[in-house]
Amino acid sequence: MSQRSTPADISFNLTVGLIAGIAILILVAPVLIVIATSFTTTQALRFPPPGLSLRWYGELFDPVRSAPIHTAALNSLWVAGWATVIGSVLSVLAALAITRVSRPSARALEASFLSPLVLPTLSYGLAALMFFSVLGIRPSLNLLIAGHLVVIAPFVFRTTLASLTQLDPALLEASANLGASRFYSFRRITLPLITPGIAAGAFLAFIASMDNVPVSLFLSTARTSMLPIRMWGMMESTLDVRIAAIAGVLIVAILVLMVVMDRFTGLTRRVSA
Amino acid sequence: MGRTKAEIHPSMASQHTATAQAAQPLTLDGVTHSYGTGFAVDNVTLEVKGGELVALLGPSGCGKTTLLRIVAGFISQTNGKVIIGDRPIDVLPPNRREIGIVFQNYALFPHMTVAENIAYGLAARGESRAVQAERVAEMLATVRMEGFADRKPRQLSGGQQQRVALARALAIRPRILLLDEPFAALDKNLRLDMQIEIKRLQRQFALTAIMVTHDQDEAMSIADRIAVMSHGKIEQLGSPVEIYDEPATLFVNNFIGSSNLLKGRVEAVGSDGYRVALESGAVWTLAAKGRFEAGAPVLVSVRPEQMVLADEAAPDRLPVALKLSLPIGGALIHDATAAGGEDIKIAVPRRPGALSTGPGAAFAALAPHARPSLFPAASS
Repeated sequence: MSQRSTPADISFNLTVGLIAGIAILILVAPVLIVIATSFTTTQALRFPPPGLSLRWYGELFDPVRSAPIHTAALNSLWVAGWATVIGSVLSVLAALAITRVSRPSARALEASFLSPLVLPTLSYGLAALMFFSVLGIRPSLNLLIAGHLVVIAPFVFRTTLASLTQLDPALLEASANLGASRFYSFRRITLPLITPGIAAGAFLAFIASMDNVPVSLFLSTARTSMLPIRMWGMMESTLDVRIAAIAGVLIVAILVLMVVMDRFTGLTRRVSA
Repeated sequence: MGRTKAEIHPSMASQHTATAQAAQPLTLDGVTHSYGTGFAVDNVTLEVKGGELVALLGPSGCGKTTLLRIVAGFISQTNGKVIIGDRPIDVLPPNRREIGIVFQNYALFPHMTVAENIAYGLAARGESRAVQAERVAEMLATVRMEGFADRKPRQLSGGQQQRVALARALAIRPRILLLDEPFAALDKNLRLDMQIEIKRLQRQFALTAIMVTHDQDEAMSIADRIAVMSHGKIEQLGSPVEIYDEPATLFVNNFIGSSNLLKGRVEAVGSDGYRVALESGAVWTLAAKGRFEAGAPVLVSVRPEQMVLADEAAPDRLPVALKLSLPIGGALIHDATAAGGEDIKIAVPRRPGALSTGPGAAFAALAPHARPSLFPAASS
């Protein structure tokens, strides 16, 4: 308290404060604006809203007029759910196998399992569409699940791999020493200790699938429309305020999920680590 | 009737078998382990008697940990046999060896309570919950941790964690107990308590035990015998007193305790020992082990506490220049330079008004009954 700030301190604090301010402005302000807009009384997407009402949320949850949106949302949830479940199982198995092997081939496999993270997703969507049509497979929700699977599985793979490498090998030795079989050790030691990592990865994967546009763009059809694509369509054609309402619902849902996940898995710690 | 009784008191039955079963010896027969071209463990043969605690003592990289891991079954040795009782266990995987281990950092399962940790080995064997609960209570009482059953490991202090680790290892009624640097992670004040505790439990359960350590004090205080290791080999095996008083090699001498190495030459070999002329001036007659010819260059190893200081010169006293005097515990350690230029340390019991404590000249002599060790020196 008695310390005097030097000019260097002041300039440092100013710089950090400025950058933080800009970051908040760019990241948080749009979210606040879209939420505020969703409560508007008017027909148009306009900020600031002239008055506040729940009118557009009522419209959004109207089972008849918003039926296509509901279908798209259910499709998205279905695809994200299955892609996450299947992707998690495959990723956990892959991570378990890779941490057990120290050969260079394992490192190569690790890199290739992670490669979808850097793959240009748009190119992959196009490639997948051509590939599946060559094989004569018609677009369907299952095809979308397969397409999303490729893009989102690495999220789970990465967090599971991190949990496994942090797992103290002495714990498994202690378990074996106490008489446990390999499977028993896996069930009682490895799995409980990597579960938070798997859950964190699965959460990220689910979110990534929910708002994936590039793959859905190529693999979805009118019958299998996905929520982000539907939203984009509405945006282009009608500038419907329900888009803002959807965004509001999504943001709140994700925030709630994130708080819950953080409670159980320390998600923020894992993602930043 | 007898059948029902046995069912009612399963713990008494198992306790009975545990005490009836005599402590089994552990034999290492020519155990060798090589990594690539080098040997981590080089043809080690060692018999640990039933109920005995042997410490493997040595600097890091001497092969002591590798040896422990071979006994535990985490590493398969390149050659040689590990035998418990009269049964080789080399073919058994780690989970069938029934060896208890206290790991260096305890390796307690972080997501389980103390009770679950202790019950783990029994649960893995498919014992009933009743048996588990009974054994957990018994083990918690044994390590005096009754009130901690529902804590998680991270809520315990280091000493408490070690007690739980011990309880967990002992709960499976192991035939052999392995201790991997058991005191390394503990505060200095806690170490003595835990050493006493481990010794007490090892006696109580009549366990054959091997302890790996790099700390000579730990080894000296609780081991029945010490195997000093270097470069994958056992340099010397003996009781702590033998190792300390009669080190077999210069390595053991230097590793155990501190010692002053004084250069000298054997002048004569008599019936009462070797007459050694030290480079620093004094002539000592030493009844040491080993074979030396007259004229052979030797190193005389004298422990600091084997020397005393005197004020007057004599043929068996070497002149020293005192530099520093440090009170360390109950002793006063004098740091001095001998006439030959060697640094020597002399420890004398500290008492009020002791001999000169400041810098100055003095004479160092052998304490009565002191038996310095003699080692051959490379001739110069």
